[in-house]
Amino acid sequence: MQPNPSMANDALVTATQGHTPVSAVRSTTWRAKLGLWAVVLACTLFFLLPFLAMTRFALQNVPTIRLGWSTLFENWSLKGITQAFDEPGFGEALGLSARLAVGTVLLTLGLLLPTAIWVHLRLPRLRPVIEFITVMPYVIPAIGLVAGIQVVKPHARWFLDSKLSLIPFYVVLTLPFTYRSIDAGLRAIDLRTLVDASRSLGAGWGATLWRVLLPNLRTAVISSTFLIVAVVLGEYTMANVLLRQTLPTFTAQYRQREPQGGYGLAVLSLVLTIVIFVLISRFTRPKSGRAQGSPVLTAAAPGPIPAVPTEGDPS
Amino acid sequence: MSALSFVGVRKTFGPTVALQGLDLAVKPGELISLLGPSGCGKTTALRIAAGFEKADTGRVEIADRDISATPAHKRNMGMVFQSYSLFPNLTVAANVDYGLRTRKLDKTERKRRVGEMLEIVQLTHLAGRYSHQLSGGQQQRVALARALAIQPEVLLLDEPLSALDAKVRLTLRDEIRRIQTTLGITTLLVTHDQEEALGISDRIGVMSNGNLEQLGSPVEVYRKPSTAFVARFVGSMNELAGQVSSDAVDVRGVAVPTGAAHGMSSGAPVKLLVRPEDLSLASVNGHGLPGTITSTTFQGATTLIGVRLDGLDSLVTVDVGHELTAEHVIGARVAVLVNGERAVCEPA
Repeated sequence: MQPNPSMANDALVTATQGHTPVSAVRSTTWRAKLGLWAVVLACTLFFLLPFLAMTRFALQNVPTIRLGWSTLFENWSLKGITQAFDEPGFGEALGLSARLAVGTVLLTLGLLLPTAIWVHLRLPRLRPVIEFITVMPYVIPAIGLVAGIQVVKPHARWFLDSKLSLIPFYVVLTLPFTYRSIDAGLRAIDLRTLVDASRSLGAGWGATLWRVLLPNLRTAVISSTFLIVAVVLGEYTMANVLLRQTLPTFTAQYRQREPQGGYGLAVLSLVLTIVIFVLISRFTRPKSGRAQGSPVLTAAAPGPIPAVPTEGDPS
Repeated sequence: MSALSFVGVRKTFGPTVALQGLDLAVKPGELISLLGPSGCGKTTALRIAAGFEKADTGRVEIADRDISATPAHKRNMGMVFQSYSLFPNLTVAANVDYGLRTRKLDKTERKRRVGEMLEIVQLTHLAGRYSHQLSGGQQQRVALARALAIQPEVLLLDEPLSALDAKVRLTLRDEIRRIQTTLGITTLLVTHDQEEALGISDRIGVMSNGNLEQLGSPVEVYRKPSTAFVARFVGSMNELAGQVSSDAVDVRGVAVPTGAAHGMSSGAPVKLLVRPEDLSLASVNGHGLPGTITSTTFQGATTLIGVRLDGLDSLVTVDVGHELTAEHVIGARVAVLVNGERAVCEPA
């Protein structure tokens, strides 16, 4: 990222106006930076240490009582995980979770994107109501939702008997996260103008959504996708109560029989989620992002001298 | 035949009446500006023409064809917005190409037209850049090229210059006019900037509270404002309190001959609205309204002198052009002469 000279100037002006010595400003900046890094380090350790401990327990064939610095490099193997691959039902559970994840992503985006766009464009007053509704699945525990499902089960057996019947429930379950992500994305763009501009150029709603809105909501869509995949690969309560053999229920059962392999699978699903996220964000990166701050800016070929003087080039 | 017509278009937003039956016909190749303060209904009229809003009653016609029920994307109108409306995910060339792609034109034709449009707005060298790599003026020129590329029947400009700084605004204003006259495209411009409207338009429609107060050439609107609102909104105006006396208005004992008071009953209290250039200064001993100079403002091409009139408690501005003399200093006593020929009269 290029430094912003105006911001630098602003900082200088503020420092000069307040008669603060330059050394004091530098010292404050250093302290702020140090504090920032301390927070980042604490957060990293908070998340990383349990993950590393779990990985070690799962992939190192050393009795738990002997785990320590002295045995750090002993007997590492993927046996715990590979063994799980051969377990009957593993492939099916993984396949079902993958289908549930894809289905949930598609249904969520298919329903939520047009709704959120419509609310932003036509019914902005309804936004607080929608926000309240979308937070409800977070307020009501998953077991409450399951109880509700049990009540309606006798009347909708045709639907609930299907393995993919978990999809709509996962859509509801992920709503607090996905709506906020999409909503933040929509707030970040000039939605009305982009839609109006696209429509004035002859594009219908479909083309506008596909060619203008989706690319500009890329980050929000990726975040939603990531959150959905993470939830689906980790959701246990609903799947267990509804007797679905998904990856989390399989992992839980497997862990009871083979604790080491069970934790190995948990590590694997976590790594898989991160890999999927990285891949999605890498392959959907917009060209403008690559061009930003690149030599393209400065290497642009000079054009003909215009008849009417043009204003200064910002780059 | 009109290129674009509003026929009795009325629009309300809840209790607010945005348009009270707008009738307006834009001739082919003409540039009409809708000028007025915020909330006067000018943008609503433009959005109804574009198809983004639906009129409650009345209709919009293109070449005498009713398009009121036609959705926005099928109206074939190009539009440039106030805020930079380029698609951030597309390059300059792809932005200009956007409307051509939606029309499914073949690639060679699209490429030719994109090149042509970028040449017209003199941005060929920036074809590969993204909107965040352009200045505001450049972005608006791309938006103009994009709107023109689809060869619209009507070009709609929604305050396209208001976000730009003064110098760029002037340059781009001239450029828009040059392109509009070159292509002969019918254009409806919405602006609250009177200077912009006066400088660019064939005709100006001055709007207030959802009504079209006056429609006329820039000279007509400035020189012969039909209502006090138009007189006040377009250009500067001095207000002098007086009374009607036959074909003149009596301002503190000085009769100002004017046709504006015609039809008003003699003795009626009125306000006489006079432009600064219709006032002149004379020696205090001569005819005219006596007063004291309170300010002089040099504006390059002209000089404005503020005079507080005796007994009227009103401050008037006199445009003396290049006639500034050594006597015109703050505190000097002068007489203000009023030319009521182009004045506007309203009941006090």
